[in-house]
Amino acid sequence: MEAFLQILFSGLTLGAMYALSAVGLTLLWGVVGMLNMSQGVMLAIGGYASYSAITYLGLPWPLGLPAAIIGGFITGLVFYHVMVRWMYRAPAFEVNIIIATVGAAIVLESLMIRVFTGYPLDQPFSLPGGFRIGGIQLPFQTLINLSVAGIMTLGLGWLLRSTRLGRAIRATAQRRDAAQLLGVPVARVYLQVMIMAGIIAAISGVMLTASVANLSPYAGTNPMLKAFFICAIAGLGNIPAAVGASLILAFIEGSIQYSVSARFGFPTMLGLAIVVLIWRPYGLFGQRTVERS
Amino acid sequence: MNGAGFIRMTPIRRDIAIGLFFLAIAIAIPFIDSSRSTMTQVILLFIWASIVTQWNLVFGVAGIFSLAQMAVFTMGGYTAAMLSLYMGWSLWLTSFLGAFMAVLVSGIIGAATIRLRGAYVALLTIGFAVVMQVLILTDSDCFFYRGVTCYNFTGGSSGLSQFGDFGFRDWLGYKQSLVGKYYLALFLLVLGTIFALVIMRGPFGYAFRALRDNANCASSQGINRVKYQILVFALSGFFTGLSGAFYAGHYKTIGPTMLDLSVLLLLLSMMVVGGLGRAWGPLLGCIILMFIDDQLKVYAEWRTVGTGAITILFIIVFRQGVAGLIEQLWERLLALRGARTAGASATNDKATG
Repeated sequence: MEAFLQILFSGLTLGAMYALSAVGLTLLWGVVGMLNMSQGVMLAIGGYASYSAITYLGLPWPLGLPAAIIGGFITGLVFYHVMVRWMYRAPAFEVNIIIATVGAAIVLESLMIRVFTGYPLDQPFSLPGGFRIGGIQLPFQTLINLSVAGIMTLGLGWLLRSTRLGRAIRATAQRRDAAQLLGVPVARVYLQVMIMAGIIAAISGVMLTASVANLSPYAGTNPMLKAFFICAIAGLGNIPAAVGASLILAFIEGSIQYSVSARFGFPTMLGLAIVVLIWRPYGLFGQRTVERS
Repeated sequence: MNGAGFIRMTPIRRDIAIGLFFLAIAIAIPFIDSSRSTMTQVILLFIWASIVTQWNLVFGVAGIFSLAQMAVFTMGGYTAAMLSLYMGWSLWLTSFLGAFMAVLVSGIIGAATIRLRGAYVALLTIGFAVVMQVLILTDSDCFFYRGVTCYNFTGGSSGLSQFGDFGFRDWLGYKQSLVGKYYLALFLLVLGTIFALVIMRGPFGYAFRALRDNANCASSQGINRVKYQILVFALSGFFTGLSGAFYAGHYKTIGPTMLDLSVLLLLLSMMVVGGLGRAWGPLLGCIILMFIDDQLKVYAEWRTVGTGAITILFIIVFRQGVAGLIEQLWERLLALRGARTAGASATNDKATG
């Protein structure tokens, strides 16, 4: 029973972390067709924005989150104007944007090391403590992270389904040229999606660094890599499926780590992803899409 | 030979001319400056160029966005190092075994990604590299003891060492051993480049490009995608693995840092700056980036920032790379001369694009 609770709680903690990273990623990948290799540093930027606001500016800790949102907004804006804007119309966008975001990730990571040093810091925006159930602790932060992931999923779902902006985004995702012909301001949609992704990543980054990972320029790298596979397994653009897959895979990873060895958690996950992708190349809940030519 | 004659040459003759030009410079360098710093720097350039040339086959020519090239390289290096360490075999022999291991692994990666396209390939291949790095880094079980010190099977985070080298020091003495390694690295690069050029300009190259440009059309013409995808991965694995083994023998150590994202980015930017899929792009890109990196040495902390920024600049503004820019200049030159007879060969040259 104790072992089960242990796996359950650590699975929930990890799952919440993956879900947080996966939401922004699957939005960008599914809608804009952009595999964002900078997701990791975007998460770290959110964490550092909150940290700086509280530690350097001396703001009360609840203001860490708005600070992160501003940071994420600026990141999204910069990413659009420096990279996406010039690239999305050109051929081979899917591959080029991966190269560009790898470059951006390295640049931003080096800059963060310059400014904050690579030393791990504590995220001041966090809620310590937790419930004790059967002798095992379930941290409050885990529950907060799960709720935030849930709220973001529901919020995005509503936004995509029921608002004018959401319709424009879905139209652009389905067929960009047709959407443009029908008067959808495609460039603005890309900008808005980029900013949304930046803000989501920043909020996730704060939650993430408050929970499992310490705040460092690399804090987001590992969650990002796992989130990639979660999104691929779940199928692109399907946000609820991504959150569900995060929890399931975190439990699998937790059980492997508990029963076999901590070493094989990620390799198992990758193995699963390979099997799923070979069996269903468009993910478990994804739909085969027609390639844009 | 006058300018117009050079322009009008067939691609193969032009490749030979360009290749001989680079080769002459490379052979001459140790006679001009055989200082330790120059030698090590140029040897590193040769190693990177060897990898990027082979990667260009998969990524540039066949258009499959694999990020597993450093994993294949590391696999070659580790196989050679481990066989030499545990079996006591000469590194010359184990280097070839490492290369065959790299071919095998690369082929398997190619087979695993057959049903995937674009970003999914990138994802799976980068995952492969990350898992390899994680497994090496977390390896902490004792495999053997040297005295009281415990050593892991893969060497763990500190990597492998003390597996011997190519023995240049015994043949040539300490002072000249570096020059010996220099020419070995050059020899590897020349062989690898010829290998890549033969594939690019030969029937395989046409098949790879046809599949890249329109997979459905190529398949309907009877080109077997499965076969050619596994083939291009396996072929590019050989010299990549051999370079890995050379790296291990040259530095007398190999470790998991070779799988870092920053190393991958450096090689990626070499390819992008040089020109994706162009015959001489990888070499040009390596020379340019090594030069820039050398210039930025004083500002060590800005090196990675510089590499990243250059990559972004090229992928957005000059997607054809330096080789592509030169090719455009060429055509401009051709148009200026108004050589009607040159028109036909110019369209042939474009096949590389």
